[in-house]
Amino acid sequence: MPSHFLFLLIFSVLVSTVFAVLQKDTVAEQVRFALTMTAGFVAFAIAAGWLMRLFPL
Amino acid sequence: MRPDSSPRPDPRTARASAVRTAAEADRGRALALCVAAWLVPGAGHLLQHRLGRGLTFLFVLPLMFALGLLFDGALFPLTPISSPLTSAAALAERCIGAPWIATAVAGWGRGDVVSPTYEYGWVLMVVAGLLNTLVVLDVYDIALGRK
Repeated sequence: MPSHFLFLLIFSVLVSTVFAVLQKDTVAEQVRFALTMTAGFVAFAIAAGWLMRLFPL
Repeated sequence: MRPDSSPRPDPRTARASAVRTAAEADRGRALALCVAAWLVPGAGHLLQHRLGRGLTFLFVLPLMFALGLLFDGALFPLTPISSPLTSAAALAERCIGAPWIATAVAGWGRGDVVSPTYEYGWVLMVVAGLLNTLVVLDVYDIALGRK
């Protein structure tokens, strides 16, 4: 069974990397931006997932 | 000695004309770089000596597209009348350039809608194309000296 969390992590890391390189100039800034954005992706997805438990299927 | 009868060019007009010609040449070069950036993700940055950025895009964007294919993602058809949303996804996928062309020529990317990873697959492929659009716009800005 594929892990949805792993797919979320792969997607988040790749998209965050591109955005960080586009938006920031120094490597330190890019790493910080990418890590923050990845964490944001994951946190939002988990929060949205829990919120969706309230809705009936 | 006879005086020169031809009118002398106004230096301000000549300077404005030179600036306009230079701007047009810059814009032409920027558009050529954009085409290169569309065709090969990262090429526009590499051609402008932005090695780190270029190599990152050259690695990450085709990797996203390839992972999308690996996860059973599909190349969507352009059917603007019957399905505009599918056509929007199809256009986004085409923005990745060479990886899309290679996939289409090879006949891959048929997609497997019953695969558990199908949705992840096509989303990765579409997002790779959209991100490459941002990369192309970045190339244009760098070429015109805005960044």
